[in-house]
Amino acid sequence: MENLFSRRTVLAGLGASAAAALAPARHAFAQIDDRPFYFFTDAEARLLALICDTLIPEDEFPSASQAGVVDFIDLQMAGPYGKGAGLYMQAPFVAGTPQQGWQLPHVPSEFMRRGLAALAESEAGALSGDAPAMDDLLTRLSEDTPDLGDIPAGAFFDELWKLTNQGYFADPMYGGNAEYAGWRMVGFPGAHAYYLSFVDKHNVPYRQPPMGINHKPGGNGAMPRPARAQEG
Amino acid sequence: MLPTLKTTVWFGAMVAAVSVPIVLGAQSTQTPAISMLEAQLQDERVLFNATIETTRPDDDLLELGRLVAMGGAENGGSGMACITCHGGSGEGDGSGTFPRLAGLPGWYSYKQLNDYASGSRPNNIMTGIAQRLSEHEREAVSAYYAVVNAPVIGPVGPADQGLMQWGGQLAAVGNAEKGIPACVNCHGPSGTGNPPSVPYLAGQYANYMTYQLELWKEGVRDNDAMNVMSTIARKMSSEDMQAVSEYYYRVYNPLTTGESR
Amino acid sequence: MPDKTLLKIDVVIIGGGWTGLTAAYELAHAGQRCVILERGEHRHDATSFGAPEEHDELKYALHYTHMMDVKQNTLTFRNNRTQRALPMRRLGSFLPGEGLGGAGIHWNGQLWRPLPSDLEMRSHYETRYGAGFIPDELSVQDWGVTYAELEPHLAFFERICGAAGYAGNLNGKMRAGGNVFEGPRSNEYPNPAMKMPITSTLMGQAAEKMGLHPFPMPSANVTAAYKNPYGAQLHPCTYCGFCERFGCGYFAKADPIICVYDRIKEHENFEIRFKSTVLRVEKSEDGQTATGVTYIDADGQEVFQPADVVCMNAYSLWNVHLMLVSGLGTPYDPETRTGTVGRNYAYQTIAAVDAFLDDSIITNPFMGAGALGMIVDDYNGDNFDHSDLGFVGGGYIACKQYNGRPISYQPVPEGTPAWGAQWKRAVRDNYLHHADFVVHGSSMSTPENFLDLDPTWKDIYGRPLMRMTFNFPDNDRRMSDYVMNRAAEIAQSMDHVTSVSSINLAAAGNDYSVVPYQTTHNVGGAVMGTDPSTSAVNRYGQMWDHHNVFVFGACLFPQNLGYNPTGPLMGLAYWTLDHMKNDYLINPRPLMDA
Repeated sequence: MENLFSRRTVLAGLGASAAAALAPARHAFAQIDDRPFYFFTDAEARLLALICDTLIPEDEFPSASQAGVVDFIDLQMAGPYGKGAGLYMQAPFVAGTPQQGWQLPHVPSEFMRRGLAALAESEAGALSGDAPAMDDLLTRLSEDTPDLGDIPAGAFFDELWKLTNQGYFADPMYGGNAEYAGWRMVGFPGAHAYYLSFVDKHNVPYRQPPMGINHKPGGNGAMPRPARAQEG
Repeated sequence: MLPTLKTTVWFGAMVAAVSVPIVLGAQSTQTPAISMLEAQLQDERVLFNATIETTRPDDDLLELGRLVAMGGAENGGSGMACITCHGGSGEGDGSGTFPRLAGLPGWYSYKQLNDYASGSRPNNIMTGIAQRLSEHEREAVSAYYAVVNAPVIGPVGPADQGLMQWGGQLAAVGNAEKGIPACVNCHGPSGTGNPPSVPYLAGQYANYMTYQLELWKEGVRDNDAMNVMSTIARKMSSEDMQAVSEYYYRVYNPLTTGESR
Repeated sequence: MPDKTLLKIDVVIIGGGWTGLTAAYELAHAGQRCVILERGEHRHDATSFGAPEEHDELKYALHYTHMMDVKQNTLTFRNNRTQRALPMRRLGSFLPGEGLGGAGIHWNGQLWRPLPSDLEMRSHYETRYGAGFIPDELSVQDWGVTYAELEPHLAFFERICGAAGYAGNLNGKMRAGGNVFEGPRSNEYPNPAMKMPITSTLMGQAAEKMGLHPFPMPSANVTAAYKNPYGAQLHPCTYCGFCERFGCGYFAKADPIICVYDRIKEHENFEIRFKSTVLRVEKSEDGQTATGVTYIDADGQEVFQPADVVCMNAYSLWNVHLMLVSGLGTPYDPETRTGTVGRNYAYQTIAAVDAFLDDSIITNPFMGAGALGMIVDDYNGDNFDHSDLGFVGGGYIACKQYNGRPISYQPVPEGTPAWGAQWKRAVRDNYLHHADFVVHGSSMSTPENFLDLDPTWKDIYGRPLMRMTFNFPDNDRRMSDYVMNRAAEIAQSMDHVTSVSSINLAAAGNDYSVVPYQTTHNVGGAVMGTDPSTSAVNRYGQMWDHHNVFVFGACLFPQNLGYNPTGPLMGLAYWTLDHMKNDYLINPRPLMDA
């Protein structure tokens, strides 16, 4: 398989400010390990981590990349979603109104790859910059202003934001929400839900420690993944 | 300080099928130190399991709980020590006549004691005992047993494989033909239970569980919220009940024995 | 030419959802040999919807795993005829189902009866407000049936579902705590109302103080162990918060599998074929009747199934699509405004209000159910005086608690940035301190909102996709603003409220978009009525043009009412089946003169 890069080397190679946010981690959640990416290249993953961490930065709770969002998006791109599941792909593809929704000829994995490439090319300045530059870039992206060739900036921002948000809060078996960071942050107990005796106990905090679908005793609900040999 | 007790009391009328016990790990007739139990409350899952509504368990509550378990009480005693029948650490006596208490959610045990006292869960023995405990004592002993660890006293010999397979299937996916929802929906994966209201099944005595299912089916026991269990039990045959009970008895789940802490 | 032709059966039923399974149950018991053709697969609550695997927000709520696959079939959409319609390439605004049980598996379980005035909207408004009151640009019609005629059927469906609620009008006797605006009910709800969380309770208290009439939302998430008239055993809802968009492994949400299918599947007159997609309804040479249907079976073969009676029980949109590709009835032409198939398509008009609460209120939003909420119906239908308001129709206001699923449920006060550090903090500060209101409004039909066939894009069988032309009429924009403002007033007067914000999807300047989810309440396109120039189906559910074709579902609605459609359409289904069993099947013929 082509794109086998260890996370440790990739994420360690990020720009100074981003690296400072990542290491040493203030939490037990840091997702730095030797597992490879299934879809992203080294450069793509770094870029994506920069973007995600601007969208969901670190505070008392982990940043997006610390919570495994880059892993999540990687798995999504490599899996059915990235390959176009749930998408009607018959031609012709004609640009439409915002009310008509997605009309691009790209499946999400292609869209992501092209979008990141276009961004790397046209916004290199902002990308090697600091937090305010990243904030500004993402704001401009969300307002659909940068010219990214055939990738509409607004649609690309929407996709990045959607995936980042999903990655922070989805069940940890998908690679994100590491150690239930997102669920702990809001107080969501997770997949094991039985509240018949409690729904009408008003104003009583329900501090059930979160459990995902794949939760094992003493575990964090992540899906076990095979280790692979490092390359490069 | 604490005498070693032997479990010698039998109640003939309540004995169902007796399986010869085999002990997994050292059988504990000693009760554990409070400091050790309180340390476990550092684990937030243990804490949640032991929390009864808004009462946060602390060493005072656990101390009182252990006292009650030993047969003592504030108001002159429950008349019985829990450990006499339920074992020094809540592991039962191996016969299945008396269920495991170790690790059960505090809220669940507390509710059972209240229901025994009021009669909404009929039981000749437990009703008298529960009535002689104050509400605070019921809370305390429930929190205590929620935190206590005990190995499973398991069955000897291999199980009928067909029965195990059928039980495992019912547990995991229920049965579409009979309209039986899977046990895992409420009792969690691997029979973990779903604190605070849903008890674990993994490692609970098979004959105890079969007996409870029969009581639900007959409507003798109906102290669960909205009659969920009786509705399910009425769809089950004796063989279904036996299958699912024998299956869960043999499910190894370190959460319910406390080994994962 | 089909690859094979089967022996004739009595009734072929297109679709295995609520109406299809119910039609099969009733007709099989009436001695009719029935075959259901379902394009999707078999599934069951026990084996397919069990927790914890089912409690996967990403897979089911966001990747739509229980719903139809748009790769196989979708539609094209435009706001008006000046635009080119483009494919709806991803699900969004509405989520049709597929497989055994159809959308009845992943519905919320909100179960209503129409208001009596809803069914006779044209007559009612003209009587009360005068002949010219309804604007000309709205093609509002009477349904052709009255509430009194449907009442026993609406009541029966409530018993099929074990509906949980509290009657507000019991045989003419009004009861506070129920819906005092409802039509008279012959019976109490089969089950007691759901347990209310703090959010709905606070809203109810505020509404009462304002002189309004709050009541618990009628729910098909049953509240106690319940046996339905078909012998199905349902189990009580656990308030697990994985209800809408999910199947229910607890057997607590009434769905067509446990309520109907399990009780009919062994019957000698019942058969269901899965992975069987109906391509066309075939017509007789004289066009008076249908001869059966042509479908693609599980092996990819084209099969002709002849039948004496054809029942169209697909999801409302696909019923209309089938009529169009089969040449049933006359397609609607917006230029000349003639024809009826595809005419009067309508939807639902949604607005939302968010109320943020102080920290003393802990809402536990994850304790939820699809039909859990407190309702104010004072601004629905014609329950209020429209004289000087400048619109017709209305909607109910619900303070609901469906779920706290963390990707979808991220309420933040107005003015919060859309992402970044402040957003993140606002999400966690407000997750446990928020009450969620929806304004669920009616949707009027207009001559410019319609369904027809697309000239460009096709489905995987080579059939043209259906084309939807729809935008909110100005009437509905005004209605939605009005009711939303009433909802905001209630929210503002709740105890412990710190801020309120609102959003009207149908606000002036907002065109209808297929992107954000609104409701899976697509109605019309094959409307019922007493006049064949303005309806495709007569008041008995029988097509005017083809007397052995019976039509079920919300495609029959001439415009949409404020309530969710499942209750009304099932009342209609039982009404139609009643006339089929007791009249049509004994003497097959048109049941009404054209």
